[in-house]
This record gives sequence, C-alpha cells and structure tokens, in this order.
Amino acid sequence: MIYLDHNATTPIAPDVRTEMVSCLDCAFGNPSSIHAFGQEARCIVDRARERVARLIAAQPEEIVFTGGGTEANNLAILGAVTGRESGRAHVITTAVEHQAVLNPCRHLEATDCQATYLAVDADGCVAPESALEAAREDTTLVSIMLANNEVGTLQPVQKVTELLKGRTTLVHTDAVQAVGKIPIDVNALGVDLLSLSGHKLYGPKGVGALYVRAGTELAPLTFGGHQEHGLRPGTENVPAIAGLGKACELAGERLADDAARLGSLRDSLEQHVLAQLDGVTINAADAERLPNTTSISFQGLTADMLAINLDLLGLAVSTGSACSVADQEPSHVLLAMGSSRTEALSAIRFSLGRGNTSEDIMAAVDRVCQAVGCMGGRR
Amino acid sequence: MTDTLSSRSRATGERVVVAMSGGVDSSVAVSLLQQEGYEVIGITLQLQACESVATSRSCCGVDSISRAQAVAGRLGIRHYVLNAVDEFNDRVLEPSWREYANGRTPSPCLLCNERIKFGTLLSRTRELGGTRLATGHYARITTDEHGTGSLLRGVDPGKDQSYFLAGITQEQLRSVLFPLGGLHKRDVRELAQRLRLPNADAHESQDACLMAPGQSFAEMLRQRFGDAPKAGPIVDGKGTVLGHHNGIHHYTVGQRRGLGIQSPRPHWVKAISRTESAVVATDSQLDLDGNEFIATGMNWLRGPTFEEAGICRVQVRYRHTPETATVKRLSPDAVHVALAHPVRAITPGQAAVFYDGERVLGRGWIDVSE
Repeated sequence: MIYLDHNATTPIAPDVRTEMVSCLDCAFGNPSSIHAFGQEARCIVDRARERVARLIAAQPEEIVFTGGGTEANNLAILGAVTGRESGRAHVITTAVEHQAVLNPCRHLEATDCQATYLAVDADGCVAPESALEAAREDTTLVSIMLANNEVGTLQPVQKVTELLKGRTTLVHTDAVQAVGKIPIDVNALGVDLLSLSGHKLYGPKGVGALYVRAGTELAPLTFGGHQEHGLRPGTENVPAIAGLGKACELAGERLADDAARLGSLRDSLEQHVLAQLDGVTINAADAERLPNTTSISFQGLTADMLAINLDLLGLAVSTGSACSVADQEPSHVLLAMGSSRTEALSAIRFSLGRGNTSEDIMAAVDRVCQAVGCMGGRR
Repeated sequence: MTDTLSSRSRATGERVVVAMSGGVDSSVAVSLLQQEGYEVIGITLQLQACESVATSRSCCGVDSISRAQAVAGRLGIRHYVLNAVDEFNDRVLEPSWREYANGRTPSPCLLCNERIKFGTLLSRTRELGGTRLATGHYARITTDEHGTGSLLRGVDPGKDQSYFLAGITQEQLRSVLFPLGGLHKRDVRELAQRLRLPNADAHESQDACLMAPGQSFAEMLRQRFGDAPKAGPIVDGKGTVLGHHNGIHHYTVGQRRGLGIQSPRPHWVKAISRTESAVVATDSQLDLDGNEFIATGMNWLRGPTFEEAGICRVQVRYRHTPETATVKRLSPDAVHVALAHPVRAITPGQAAVFYDGERVLGRGWIDVSE
C-alpha cells in the first residue's frame, strides 16, 4: 500500500512513539499533584509546551493544549465571541474553511451573531482587502485558514492582519494543515489565535493546541479545574501532549528538508499524471500552495469511484476532506473556486508525507493511469 | 441445473460486491461468500442526503452506514459508501410520487431493487472490477444448460422476497448472487450469532428507507416534490357524496382506516378517480373483490409468452397466496389476467408477479380500467 493521504492524518513518527511510550510507562502522575509523581508529569507537559511554542515562535504560556484541531478552532471562535465585552457580534471567515471553522460560525449565526463568508478566486485564495471591506464596528473575530486542506492554497493571513492593524478585532488562523509543512511565526503573522493538531504532523490523534496571544480575552467553553489557564479544564492527557511536543520539535528540525523534498515529489507526480492522461486539471495550480498537496480533477470520472479503485489497487488517497466522507457532496472548496458540480465531484486529493519516496510516486502514477484506464477515462 | 453457490472452485479470488444495509441478512451474505473463496467488497448506498436523515434511524442513514462499517470491520472486508442520492430521487422517489398523484399506490421497493440495486449498484460493481453483485435477499437463482437463469422463491416461505426482485432482467440475473436463498431466517440469525456480528440481534429493517418520521411516505413525497394535494369528495358507488378528503395520495385501495366518514358502518376504499380527485368508498367488503386486471410494463424473465391464453399463478401483493390465473398477452408489454377466484383489493400501481410453482415468470404493474 502507498499512502498519499497525509492531510487526513499522518503515521506517528518513531521518536514520538518512543516519547509517548516512556511517558505511559513511567509518568502516570497527575500534573496537578504536589508530590514527585505529579511534578514529573508537570515537567513533561511543560517541556511539551515549550516545544510547541518554539515551532511557531510563541511563548510557552501562550499555548493551550486541547483535544485536537477541531476543539482548538471551536475554543478560538466561540471563546472569542463569548469573551467579548457585550452587544452583538460579527465574525468574518472564508468560504473555503474546514467544517471545524464553518460550523462554529454557523452555530453563532443561529444565536445573535452574524457571519460573513469571504469569496475566493479560482485558485482558492482570499483577497486581503475583502476582509477589510467586510470588517465592521462590531466585528469580533476574523478567522482565515493558513493553508487549505483540500487544495493546499496558502492564504494571505499576514496581509489581512496588517490591514486590520489598529482595530480591536481578533484574528484567528486555522493552521492545522500548515504547521510542520511551512515555517510559521505568530508574530510575523500578527494573529491572536492559531490552531494546530497533533496527528497532522506525525503526532498522536486527540491532541492539539491553541495559541492565544498574551492578553487576548477568551472565554472557556467547558468548566472545571484550573488547567490550561481555565480555558481547557480537565486533567491533562500527558502522553498525548508529550507526543505533540516531540512531534513539534521534530517538525522544526525537518521542516526545510521535508518541504523541499516533498515539493519536488509533488511536482513530479503532477507532471507525470499530466503527461500520461488527458482531461486532467490541477486545481489551484497557480496558487502559492503547501508543498505536499495536490488536488487533481479527472474529467468524466467520479472521484469517489476512482478513489475506491485506487484503494483496491493499493493507493490510499481521498476525495476532498476526510471529514466529509459520509455525505459525498461536491467539495465546497472547489465550488467556491468556481468549479462546476461535476468538476468538483471528479477531484482527488493526493497529500504526500515523510515516508514517501520517488518510487512511491512512480508507482502511484502507474496505479492512477491503470484505474483511470479501467474506468474508461482518457489516457 | 446448477446452484450458484456450488461453483466453489471458480470462486477463488473472484471479486464480488455485497450491497450492505447494515442488517443481519447482508452481513451473513458477506460471510458466506467469503467462505466460498470470493474477494468480497461491501458497499452501502447512501440514498438520502445527510441533512434529511441525520435524525432518523432509517436504513439510508448514518446509523446503518456505521453498522455496515462495523460488520465489515468484524469480517475483515473493505467497505465503501457510495452516493446514490440523485438516482434514488429521480428513479424511485419521483416516479413513486407520480403514482400517488395519479391515485395509484406505488411499489418503491421493487423500483429500488430494479433500478438502484440491479441498475446503479451493478454498474458500479463492474467499474470496481467486480464480476458479481450479491444482496441479502431471500430468493434463489438457478441456471439451465443453455445458461438461461431462473429466479426462484427463497426456501424460507416466511421470508421469500422473490416478489420484490421480480423486475430483474435475464442479463442482470447472470451477474447477481443471493447467498441466503437456500437458508431459513433462523439459520441466518444463528450464523450471525456464531460469527459474533455486532448486529446479530438487530430488528428487521424492511422498508425502513422509506420511513418518514411523523408522516406518511406519500405525504413526505408530496412535500418533497412540492405539488398541491388533490382534495375532493368521498363518494359511494352511485356517486352520492359521503364526505371530503384532503388529497387522493392519502388513500389506497382496500384501506379502511382514516376515511373520516360519519357513518355507523365501516367503509373501505374501492377505487380512486384521478380525473375527479374522488375517493370511491363502499360499505361492503365484497365490493373490493376483483376477477380480472391488466398488467402493463411487463418484465418477462422466462416463458411462456402467453401468445395463447395460458394458466399460471399470480401474486398481487407481497403477502398474498398466489391465485390461479388465465393470462393472455395483449401486447409485448401488457397482459390480461383472469383470476380463477376473486381476489380482494387489486391495487393499481402494485406489482403483479407471475409464478410457475417456485419459479418467477415475470412482473407487471397492475392497471384496473375505471
């Protein structure tokens, strides 16, 4: 089997596993306990916090561990709106966000809050000025993803924060797909809130983090103990947090090499598919993109059938976001980019990762050609 | 004649798709085919959009998909969900609504089998490199020395589903397997328990895909397709007005409840007039008996062709003891059916299935000239 679905999830890095296993074996203490067992666990959590902070150039006390990327996004969006002084609220986001951002915004719309969904161009990119135009007196939060999960397009988040400078509006970015793939500096970006997830960067599932710039007013969504500044109460998931910390440390060390290598493998995948098959389009081809991601439309084919055939041939890919498999509606991202329903239903996402070799890519191209040939597509 | 399941040696590695509803029957079918040496792939069709099923427990919903996934995981097969929302809407729901709007009673389960399972899903099966499509229906398929297939009743008389499958064509029959046809339901349950299937003790899911919480299937369809209800009078056989109704789609021939007539005597629906939007009621059950009808849209699986009038047995609804009938062909796709004994509530729109003993001869749609 060849795995080209790293935007859905990644395998755990061996060093991350080692870190987690030693934590499971030796450090069962509750970080809130005063005794040696507790202090040992506390020490592990603190070290992880430093490692996460370092990867995004934040301070350790600005990192809040959560139960994953979705929870981080919910805490950022709902917490920012609940934490505002008073009155009605308005949030600005984009049409191409992950459901973990879109659905909290829709949830807010069902209350006394309004939401604006910014349009994107044919490459899936938001115009920074459109955020400024949409901004109002009562705009509490702007949430724009750093990198799109389906097509890989990078959004001009830094330009947006520059344009909004001087306003009280908070800026959040869902960086779940970007962290570990491109360099990130929260100060350069100018964001107040940033979400990341463990299992997208060779760490464990069920753990993530929200960067909360010092001084940012945020309200908790769940209530309990004092953990994580009261923003995420409950006894810390120490082994998972340790794994996330190690994964961030590794990502920092490997980022430049991984990006260069995966970028050239991705480009070679695209070139070979384009050369060997007719009726193939690379989505968001002209955008500045994540190095590991490509979304390819196969004219005349339905992507769900193609993805199944590829799985049966030993190539794991996906149609759009792994989180929307059950409804199999056309991708909202591709529709927002101006694709027709049929075009959107013919797109496959290939997302490369550390384990992939150039042999994998050549074998993947062969299998794609084989499956497309069997399904009556054009070669 | 060879039983389809006796082709053991040929089965090795052959890829077969099983339509998995998440229920016990299709799950056991998977296991039986695995034992035959097939490479089994499970597919669950999603028939309705997520929003409309999120809160329901229907067989098209998220619940049944997760049940099917759990079974596939237990049995160690690949499982996929395929979207057939548009096909189900266009080829089952919309035609069913047209029948109701015309004062007839549709047969959505037959349409779904013919058009979605043996249509859409069978062609998907081929696109996935599968040679056969299997379902958990209780019916048998046999093939004679010339390669002509026959559809036979399942051996469990309480579960036989050949009536619902009778719209299948010869060509489709060659690519379909019914692994449960030779089993009784109790055997299937026992197998499910022995395999420790997560759904071994689940309830039957018959027709659940057409369930609409809090309202009738017909009313759900009316709202979906946005037609105004055809309201009108309830009349007796002489045309005397007995009351009023708020839409002919709420009624079916033979229905007793819900007529809303102020009368000390029970009444039954005898007929529905589309042109006058009238429901014709009777206070005599004998009035519901019919001796003949016409069947149109015939699907002939096997002769006789009834060029000359011939005798066979006919079943006008699922739970109906087949009646002897003299059948005469009127055109390539229509027959006249004269029954040996009167049959109660012959309902336009329902399927008439013709049998020679255990063997299905064909399927038509009941038409009664007003």
